[in-house]
Amino acid sequence: MNTTDTASSLEASRKPRLFRVPRNVHWGLLGLLGPVTAFLGIFFLMPLVIMAIFSLLEPGLYGGVVWSFYADNFGRILGWANGPIEEFDIVYLRILMRSFRIALITVALTLLVCYPVAFWVSRLPPRRRNFCLFLITLPFFASLIVRLYAWVLILRPSGFLNQLLSTLGAIREPIELIYTETAVLIGLVYIMVPFMFLPLYASIEKLDRQLIDASYDLGAGRIATFRRVILPLTMPGIMGGAILVFIPTLGNFIVPSLLGGAKVLMIGNLVEQQFLYARNWPFGAALAMLIMSVVLALLMLYVRTTLKRRSPRGTAAKPRTKDRAEGLT
Amino acid sequence: MHFTPFRVSLAPGIMGTLGLGFLVASSPALAAGELHLYNWGDYINPEVLERFSDEYDVDVSLDTYGSNEEMLAKLQAGATGYDLVFPSVHMQDIMYQLDLLEPTYINQSEHFANIDPDFLRAKTDSEGEYCLPYAWGTVGILYNKNRVDEMTSWEDFFNAARDGKQVAILDDMREALGVALIVNGDSVNATDREALERAGNYLIERKPLISAFTYDSVPMVQSGDLAAAHYFVGGMMYVNEDPENLGYVIPEEGATLYQENICMLKTAPNKENAKQFMEFFLRPEIAALNTRQQMNGTPNVEARELLPDALKNSPEINPPSEVMDRLQIFEDLGRSLQLYDRTWTKVRTAE
Repeated sequence: MNTTDTASSLEASRKPRLFRVPRNVHWGLLGLLGPVTAFLGIFFLMPLVIMAIFSLLEPGLYGGVVWSFYADNFGRILGWANGPIEEFDIVYLRILMRSFRIALITVALTLLVCYPVAFWVSRLPPRRRNFCLFLITLPFFASLIVRLYAWVLILRPSGFLNQLLSTLGAIREPIELIYTETAVLIGLVYIMVPFMFLPLYASIEKLDRQLIDASYDLGAGRIATFRRVILPLTMPGIMGGAILVFIPTLGNFIVPSLLGGAKVLMIGNLVEQQFLYARNWPFGAALAMLIMSVVLALLMLYVRTTLKRRSPRGTAAKPRTKDRAEGLT
Repeated sequence: MHFTPFRVSLAPGIMGTLGLGFLVASSPALAAGELHLYNWGDYINPEVLERFSDEYDVDVSLDTYGSNEEMLAKLQAGATGYDLVFPSVHMQDIMYQLDLLEPTYINQSEHFANIDPDFLRAKTDSEGEYCLPYAWGTVGILYNKNRVDEMTSWEDFFNAARDGKQVAILDDMREALGVALIVNGDSVNATDREALERAGNYLIERKPLISAFTYDSVPMVQSGDLAAAHYFVGGMMYVNEDPENLGYVIPEEGATLYQENICMLKTAPNKENAKQFMEFFLRPEIAALNTRQQMNGTPNVEARELLPDALKNSPEINPPSEVMDRLQIFEDLGRSLQLYDRTWTKVRTAE
């Protein structure tokens, strides 16, 4: 049986590329990938296609759409709408920029919080490490809304934080925290910490300690070791976490509403408003499509730049550092 | 457009999806029929449902929504199985246009004379052939007496804010713009650009004074973290519990009035039970039972007579006619709603 297999694969390797995979493997793959492909096709791709189509249609009077082409949904955001009903307004791009800014700050803050903690956790003995990982996932056991209301109670003028600070004598007047952008950032960072922590932890845990020792032995200082060894090796975790935090933050509308007093409007709030209160599904769809295309463009840019940077060095550099590290021990 | 204590208006559907709907009758196997209500959260006295269930041996279920738009979106998306819904008047008009409602001829029923004809407000149903006027109330100011002196007007409200007191406006496009339109002397259903621009500017000028746009202001007013908040008359429930600290007022400049009606859906699976429930609710003692718990107004004239004096004579809940004259109700705006949406977005993004 073995011989026939190798024989057929040898024969196949001479044939054009398409036929190189043996038929039975092909069917097995199809069987394994089929259900999930069908599931995603129906429940992910279809709604997306519907949204893409809706974004180019005329809004119905009471929600829904009128089936005729309508360019002004995007025109309102990007500049060419100038009719009696629809007109261009810079306000939408401004909301988009503000959402990007808040999402980027959230990514930076979660990274700052999680990076040292992930390092510390990865050095704990296994039992305590697992306990810490369990603690990180603990918030998921309670409803998000309930947890955000708890933050309202903490941040309000008569709340826990102000009481604590005034008992300690740090403040005389309660500080205004609730219903500010700071409160929104606190809430977003709080929600997003697990999404940053887990991918970060995964890459930090895999980090070979010997490489750090090697870096010191070769005369690099703490900063140089971090910048030239640790940071590049944990970069996949950083980027993974950043993407996982950035995208849901960009579309979040509950935190700005509950903790920001709906005064710090983000793009998610705007989409919600279009679908419900303004009864303008196509404009909501256009806004959603715009966010998605910007995020996709950024992701593709990232993938392309990392591929370019890695391909020449990656394969050659890895064994070399490993050799050196092994040689030193 | 009324009060629910834990309503997360910002995440519509949460109440519904978390499964706050419940079954009232305990023995479904024995019941003769079913009735499925789709109502605002906390907008009916559970005792009313229990009484109906017991008397007619019908299983009553209740699902809830947080806004008219959420209810409409769900029905438009094809939700079926509900018999009765409780839309605001302008939403009833929209639902009529969309052919979602079933005529009930409730106006032919024995006790329909109990309904004050002033409450047949729906333009598409001026005779009451479709829906039964259910409940109504005003949207005014709830304030904390320890933080501010007695308030009577929107001027007082914003003056308190100028003194550094925290105030909140409802996170509701039409209610928030409604305040500005009323103070400017315009109609809350104005559709001209100038009126909307004035309203937008009024709110943008005052935005630094407004702490938040929110529905969840009651606990914040109770604790004094907010001095005053734009709120529904349902807040009277808390005022009556704590009259020393809290007050509710219909502002001198005027206010909006909301009214919801009980309507039967075209797709209702239990039309007979639904009609039966509407007739049951026409009884003065049943309408009064509901109003006593809800602390809002009832269009049932006979029911008003059965209310305790504190409710019957409350100028906030049953205002005298000169106050009634200053109240305005929302109408469907059709395409002009886009004008409100644009103005509201500008207000919410202003720095």
